[in-house]
Amino acid sequence: MLSYIVRRLLWLPFLLAIMIFITFWLGFYGPGSPEVVLLGQRYDPETAAVIKEQWGLNEPFALQYVKYVRNYVTLNFGESLTKYQGQPVARLLARRLPVTMELNAAAIALGVPLGIILGAIAATYHGRWQDRSIIFFTVLFRAVPSLVAGPVLLFVFAKQLKILPVGGWDGLFSASAILPVSILASGVVAGFARQTRANMLDVLSADYVRTARSKGLSEQMVMSRHVLQNALIPLVTILGLVLGSIVEGTLITETIFGIPGMGQLAFEAIGARDYPIIIAVTVLAAFIFALANLWADLFYGIIDPRIRQS
Amino acid sequence: MAVKAIPHAKIKKPRTMWGDVVLRFSQNLPAMMGLIVVIGLYAVALLAPILVTTNYTAIDLDNVRSAPSLVHYLGTDELGRDVYSRVVWAARSAAFVSIFVPALSLSLGLFFGIIAGYVGGWVDTIVMRLGDILFAFPGLLFVFFIAATIKPAILLWVKGIGLTEFAKQGFVDYIVVFTALSLVGWPGLARLVRGQFLTLRNREFVLAAEAIGVSQWRIALKHILPNAMTPVIVVVSGGIGGTIAAETSLSFLGIGLQPPNPSWGQMISDYYIYWRNTELWPLLFIPSIILVVIILAFTFVGDGLHEALNPYLD
Amino acid sequence: MARLLEVNNLRTQFFTQDGVVNAVNGISYTLDEGETLGIVGESGCGKSVGVMSLIKLIPTPPGKIVEGSVIFNGENLIDMSDGEIRSVRGNKIGMIFQDPMTSLNPVLTIGRQIQEALELHMGMDKAQSKARAIELLELVGIPSAADRINDYPHQFSGGMRQRVMIAIGLSCNPQLLIADEPTTALDVTIQAQIVDLVKKLRDDLGMAIIWITHDLGVVAGLADRMLVMYAGMIVEEAPVKELYANPSHPYTVGLLGSLPRLDQVSGEKLDSIEGLPPDLIDLPKGCPFHARCKYRIEKCFTENPPLKTIGVGHKAACWIDVTKDPITTERPYQEV
Repeated sequence: MLSYIVRRLLWLPFLLAIMIFITFWLGFYGPGSPEVVLLGQRYDPETAAVIKEQWGLNEPFALQYVKYVRNYVTLNFGESLTKYQGQPVARLLARRLPVTMELNAAAIALGVPLGIILGAIAATYHGRWQDRSIIFFTVLFRAVPSLVAGPVLLFVFAKQLKILPVGGWDGLFSASAILPVSILASGVVAGFARQTRANMLDVLSADYVRTARSKGLSEQMVMSRHVLQNALIPLVTILGLVLGSIVEGTLITETIFGIPGMGQLAFEAIGARDYPIIIAVTVLAAFIFALANLWADLFYGIIDPRIRQS
Repeated sequence: MAVKAIPHAKIKKPRTMWGDVVLRFSQNLPAMMGLIVVIGLYAVALLAPILVTTNYTAIDLDNVRSAPSLVHYLGTDELGRDVYSRVVWAARSAAFVSIFVPALSLSLGLFFGIIAGYVGGWVDTIVMRLGDILFAFPGLLFVFFIAATIKPAILLWVKGIGLTEFAKQGFVDYIVVFTALSLVGWPGLARLVRGQFLTLRNREFVLAAEAIGVSQWRIALKHILPNAMTPVIVVVSGGIGGTIAAETSLSFLGIGLQPPNPSWGQMISDYYIYWRNTELWPLLFIPSIILVVIILAFTFVGDGLHEALNPYLD
Repeated sequence: MARLLEVNNLRTQFFTQDGVVNAVNGISYTLDEGETLGIVGESGCGKSVGVMSLIKLIPTPPGKIVEGSVIFNGENLIDMSDGEIRSVRGNKIGMIFQDPMTSLNPVLTIGRQIQEALELHMGMDKAQSKARAIELLELVGIPSAADRINDYPHQFSGGMRQRVMIAIGLSCNPQLLIADEPTTALDVTIQAQIVDLVKKLRDDLGMAIIWITHDLGVVAGLADRMLVMYAGMIVEEAPVKELYANPSHPYTVGLLGSLPRLDQVSGEKLDSIEGLPPDLIDLPKGCPFHARCKYRIEKCFTENPPLKTIGVGHKAACWIDVTKDPITTERPYQEV
């Protein structure tokens, strides 16, 4: 178990180093040369040369890379080139990150338990109407992308029914959060319900469940003591995948609803070719994602005796 | 004992495995409906030049916001573009995505999966770590990043070497978006194929083939691969809906297919603000509904294949 | 000895997509207190489903007990409600299963898995049930039981896990222990240990046993009486010695003929039963065994022979007497 933890922990800085290298490499050879973006239409070689000198862009690859890594390690992500010209990216992120975190945390806090409950109900009533209707909704949730769900729900609830605000962000505990959180949560619900159902059906046909029944346990006892734990343990690993999919959802949802989070910042940066922001958002999101996966792996080790004791 | 050979008990006429799969699939109503929609998508994509005579990019400022008519079946938008022809041509992009991305990630996944699973050793380690690194990027973030940073660079480069016309046609869009989506898809498939190979290579029929001296690559390709394909088919077919959704998301954000390439994602991006508009709101629903129907159709086909290939699953 | 169990015309079917599977087709037998009954037959002959049906442990749907009664201690188990049958399961009737590697819950300690039934049926508290679980583990021969009670199944070998399964089956002092091929998945040396253990426990505790196997050798030294099943029916029933000495159904003859013997003339081939068991969805007319039978006569194709008494405690379902020399010129082999 100890070597498992150490291995997992060492993987994180290694991964971070690789991510920073890839992003730097793509940025170095990519179109994001600050002088080009900064000057835009006003590009002329002389001014460009001055800026390149100023920013140290004439230095060799290795030297620039060392500086870049040093900057990232000290949380210096550079300055915005176009959209928020001159503002440090770190400050922009610090302002936007909490909103995105709230949004995603709410979606997960709502979606995971709901998904598990629905999946468990579907498996318990396997093949009956409860199962069929839950499958129907999970398939639907999976098939409707947030770029469709957002505008359609706004049309229904804000324009036609006029019961929800038209967008914006008044904090997590306000009516403005209902639609975006629901959209993000629906993906989580679909993923977890589907997986819980599959795991439970798998476990229900396991020999040890038959053993439990042969002891005279009631169906509730069989479920709570033998089926649920075995079915839920593997769910820990899909939390990472689900997190990955809501990153994408956040980008689009924040854009559609006008929520001032990281997703909207990234969208603006893409439009304005503001590469320092794009790179910083990518690295930050990947870092959070890696952290979540690490946590999931460690948690998996704790709750599964087969890993815990190896 | 003077007994003649005893005839075996009556055995039902054997059915082939694929015969069984086709039979089970054809009995699955949602899957068949999905298949019809998918075939319809490909038919529309193929026949787009016949179905549409108007240029879908043509801007006609004298004829904006027109209601559906015999000239403009679905009306025109704020720039006077014919919505019907935009929708039809975008079906082409969706059809391309649904074929090329799975094909590319399948090829990469099979290639790396077979190498990792069959050669093993350091090759295995390198391939799997490479996959881990790609996995470390959440979902489509990597695609967003590539599309946002590399595509403009490639576009500049293509123009730089004098292929201006090629660049204008928007092929670069297709190539970058498809490649980026496939790059995200292959590690999962490679893992799956590798896992299958590791399990199957110790099975009796493989050992038997080895014992009679069948060559390594023949064993890998003729004995193991066909047995490893079932879960691979399930994963690939189940992912097509998500791939189409991903392409529309990219195009929505302005980093996927860009004009002149048609895409439903672009249309939604152009029209989604109309949700508040009392007159133009139907424009939002046209690409949205079509997109959802297509994704659902691919989902049903994927699920149907899954069930047909694993009859004892449920 | 008092009568413990009486099974009458038990019939279990599975309703599947491909049709109705006739898994158990009207079997009847009895069992006395402390008696050991062996049930033999090929895979898929309905022997497992037959005993699972006794305590209604078949998956429903698709399975269903469509006919018959199971009188246990004077009560019909088939008529019992779910709650009532649960108070019998694991309490008065214990079970052991085939594969000890998958029959224990991987995420619970073995102590918990034994204590569960004790707390449920005997009303013990945690401390009492733990003490009893340690006692049971010692009884089934697990060394340093008090330490191992907190271990998980993956920390035990296959043979040891089967001992744990036996401890679970015996935890509430059952009157009947059902063992469903408990040695099939084990090594031969471990098989003998498990059989000896069960024998010793039976002699000490006095419970009745139903032991299912497809291996006639395993039960020879253990069972008092044997049932031979084919295609969901009982084709022969006899005291164990009588069955080995005078097998009276062609199927039993075939089963015994396919056992290797030490006194066999070297070079002599083992007899085997050719062909496959019939399709349980589409049972043939007449005797279910006729397609594979060396002794068959025309009647076998049209009429299924009833199980009739042919000796003391000995019954067989066959139209002819196979103990008299079988296939001769005056009764030639019937072509299909």
